[in-house]
Amino acid sequence: MDFSLNFIKQFVDIKSSAQELAKLLTSAGLEIENLEKTADDWVFSAEVTTNRYDWLSIIGIAQEVAAVSGKKINLKYPRTKTTPKIEKKKIIINNLEDCPYYLGRTIKKTKVGQSPEWLKKLLINCKIASVNNIVDATNYCMLKWGNPLHAFDLDKIEGDICIRRAKDKENFIGIDQKQRTLTPENLVVADSKKVIALAGVMGAKNTEVTADTKNIFLEAAKFSPTTVRRSRRGVGLDTESSYRFERRVSELCLEYASGEAVDLILKLAKGEFGGYKKVGRKTEEKPKQITISLTKMKNYLGTDFRLPEVKKILNSLNCKVKKVSADKIKVKPALSRFDLAREVDVYEEFARIYGYNKIKAKLPFVIKDLKKNPVLDKEENSWKFKNKIRDFVALLGFSEIITYSMENRKELAIITKERGLSLRNPLRSQENSLRPRLSLGMIKSIKHNLNRGKEDLTFFEIADIYKKKSKNKVKESSFLSLGVTGDKERFFQLKGAVWEVLSYLNIKPAVSENTMASFSNSLELKAEGKIIGFMAKLDQKVKNKFGLKEDLFISELDLDLLEQLKKGKKFRSFSKFPAVWRDISLAIDKNIKFRKISKIIEEGSQYLSDLKIVDTYQGKNLPKDHFGFTLRLFYQSSQKTLNSDQVDIYHNQIREKLHDKKGIILR
Amino acid sequence: MAEEIKNIKESFKKDLEKAENKDSLENLKVKYLGRKSKISQLFSNIPNLAKQERGHWGKELNILKNKISSAIKEKLSKEVQKEEKIDLTYPAKYPQKGSIHILSSVTKEICLIFKELGFNVIEGNEVEDEWHNFSALNIPLDHPSRDAFDTFYLDLDKKDKKSGSWLLRSHTSPSQIRIMQQVDPPLAVISPGRVYRPDVVDATHSFMFYQIEGFVVGQDISFSHLKGVLLYFARQFFSQEVQLRFRPHFFPFTEPSAEVDVSCVICSQKNKQKNKERCPVCKGKGWLEILGCGMIHPNVLEACNIDSKKYQGFAFGMGVDRIIMQKYQINDIRLFYENDKNFLKQFPL
Repeated sequence: MDFSLNFIKQFVDIKSSAQELAKLLTSAGLEIENLEKTADDWVFSAEVTTNRYDWLSIIGIAQEVAAVSGKKINLKYPRTKTTPKIEKKKIIINNLEDCPYYLGRTIKKTKVGQSPEWLKKLLINCKIASVNNIVDATNYCMLKWGNPLHAFDLDKIEGDICIRRAKDKENFIGIDQKQRTLTPENLVVADSKKVIALAGVMGAKNTEVTADTKNIFLEAAKFSPTTVRRSRRGVGLDTESSYRFERRVSELCLEYASGEAVDLILKLAKGEFGGYKKVGRKTEEKPKQITISLTKMKNYLGTDFRLPEVKKILNSLNCKVKKVSADKIKVKPALSRFDLAREVDVYEEFARIYGYNKIKAKLPFVIKDLKKNPVLDKEENSWKFKNKIRDFVALLGFSEIITYSMENRKELAIITKERGLSLRNPLRSQENSLRPRLSLGMIKSIKHNLNRGKEDLTFFEIADIYKKKSKNKVKESSFLSLGVTGDKERFFQLKGAVWEVLSYLNIKPAVSENTMASFSNSLELKAEGKIIGFMAKLDQKVKNKFGLKEDLFISELDLDLLEQLKKGKKFRSFSKFPAVWRDISLAIDKNIKFRKISKIIEEGSQYLSDLKIVDTYQGKNLPKDHFGFTLRLFYQSSQKTLNSDQVDIYHNQIREKLHDKKGIILR
Repeated sequence: MAEEIKNIKESFKKDLEKAENKDSLENLKVKYLGRKSKISQLFSNIPNLAKQERGHWGKELNILKNKISSAIKEKLSKEVQKEEKIDLTYPAKYPQKGSIHILSSVTKEICLIFKELGFNVIEGNEVEDEWHNFSALNIPLDHPSRDAFDTFYLDLDKKDKKSGSWLLRSHTSPSQIRIMQQVDPPLAVISPGRVYRPDVVDATHSFMFYQIEGFVVGQDISFSHLKGVLLYFARQFFSQEVQLRFRPHFFPFTEPSAEVDVSCVICSQKNKQKNKERCPVCKGKGWLEILGCGMIHPNVLEACNIDSKKYQGFAFGMGVDRIIMQKYQINDIRLFYENDKNFLKQFPL
């Protein structure tokens, strides 16, 4: 809400500077976001909270200014003309929920023209453009009282006036010249033939007041906040009028706003009063009395004050205060203050004028009373668990990424058969589904970086995935995804990281090769019979579909399961004696999995402590379809230093076992 | 003999000068001190000398040998030192380091500050229902935030009539409601996590962002405690010097409600008056809005079956993305979700 300081000064005597006033209003809850000097005035831009519809009017703000500066407001209520009645036109409200109350007044033989300078200036300083004397008069009264008004060209209204919902696909051209197609979500004001206004939002071009207009129909109404909001959002409009109707308008001021507008039009555009008609009825009840205990209020705010202070502040806000006992008072809120309904509302009214910043900051505390509770423990443990995993994976050289929880349904289908959970109202089709797997976010972040010349990426993410369990149930669980790009050797870095994580949690996985859609190669990981995750290489087709410049290896692990399966650790003693190594060179048939060889070796000697590949080769010297490498085997005892002869014996036993196997050639 | 010693001395002097590296010095050792060296030969000649001269020349030869030996040693040790000098001004080789996303690390940092005060951390679920996200929080059925314009709804049937539609939480409050329903006060809870609102993405808006909310409920919890806890947080998180400003505000779930500004952490309110160089972060206002808070509305406590006559409390909430953007002067929220390596590596922990 933008307002002019001169406008406010019509109703309250202000001594302080504009800057001081802005500060006072801000600390009372009417935040002045911007202050702008004009030739002889100040323009205030205020952020009005949704509960204070009364601050969308000059008189409401003047009341607040009076309260914060200890002044009284000076306001005269106009006498309004209610006779003669409008006889020729019926006003019909289809649904009183949409429009409980509607006032019409007519003015005849007006002369439309420019507004006088004082009015133009006042409107401009409230950031409203001057149109002509009729429209300006309605805007002036809207600003003053908070009730939006609309002036129609009476001669262009055909037949009776009806407030009804729009028909589906009904057309509307507003005074902004734009054409819009309406739905029954829009409330309209219509005559017997056409829509003449989008109720509470904007008038129609067809009945606009122009230079030729002679006779005026002036609308003042109360429209349902929800109806106006949905209506204007549906057509993508946001006007001074809808802004006020959405917050609610005062029934009390409706008559004054309409009546004063007539007087002003008669003054500025001559003419004569035509008639008056009201339809519907007032629905507002008067605000109720609230009983307050001063002791409770002090305890609630955590500060000390005396009754006269409370009385003075509440009176300045037009609330009546009656003392009932030493500790209790009865508060009767101002008629416009429907937001004051409970004790706590009064506490706030007092506190905001008293000054939030006068209340001392104290540390409580309940800490000493806080009890252990299994619900809280479970939640906090899972938070701690995820933090540890995050720290640990970062320690392994991975960079954490954070990607959107929603993805496009079709893109998700490329990487998983599992269906995402659809959003009923997606913002855009790129994100119309909650993800059942983290990989897609990983792929996109990898792509972003590869396209910018980065290579050999190692990323991870910890986030939730979502699965539809039945037609009205969802399962949300936490997952860890790891992504590594580069040549095929890089897969083993991913594998190493996964092994590190599992070993950190003391979980021994069972591994098996499986097939997964969109992955050319994959390993499934199980622990205690449950699937805990996978490691896989992204398919070439998928890689090309997403335009990745490097191969991508992905692993996903179920963190909720890992948290359940993790085991505590205790110290394990290690050998004090040195390990001795022997190399062994092999050529193996390409169809034999390395796992088969390592199994033979591992089972070959109780002293085998480690095994690694020190050299690999391919070439002419090897039989067809064979692959060569040198393994280094480490032997170690926890009891003694193994001597060379002993190690040779163990090593030869392993060599012999390997020698016996088909497809393995010792070299 | 004297002649010979003199010759050795002279030729050694020349050789030593010429010797410029470790190898040539090692060769000198062999040449002058080795088994086949001149000195060795002279030594083996000593028995052939006159008896009274033997002692004298033996001594002289020993002196010569020692001199040569220590000269070589000295130069050798200098050479060794010289050789081991490497050019340390070459560029560093960085280890492959990992990193934690700034949204994660700051979220954790904030939660740990509240944990120092005894708060319990709870995350809750992101998929929620209307009752927990709105109704329990005193948000009326026709409130704009419930519109499809402001909340993402899921394409699922309702669990039951009371719960209403499934949705993506628009704040972390529903997770706190669940705790209030299950655990008796006193309670002090902090809840971080992802939240969702259908805002069109631009430099300052994202349909997914991070929030931290907290609440305390007890028998004597007051507005001044709310101020105390938030001041403690702000001084731990920003700096010991910061001030807070509480402005009355409106939220359906708190009464009284306030918005809280922190004195600008970038300019320390110094260029408040200087309009020439306005602080780019607070725009010269001196204050930055960081959170919303208030005393929990009695309707909220009652919705969770907590007796509002006996218990009272406060609650607060802040956007993590926004606080980070202010603190580190990041001008585009999209940077958080784009995961560009150049961004990630700037905030490793």
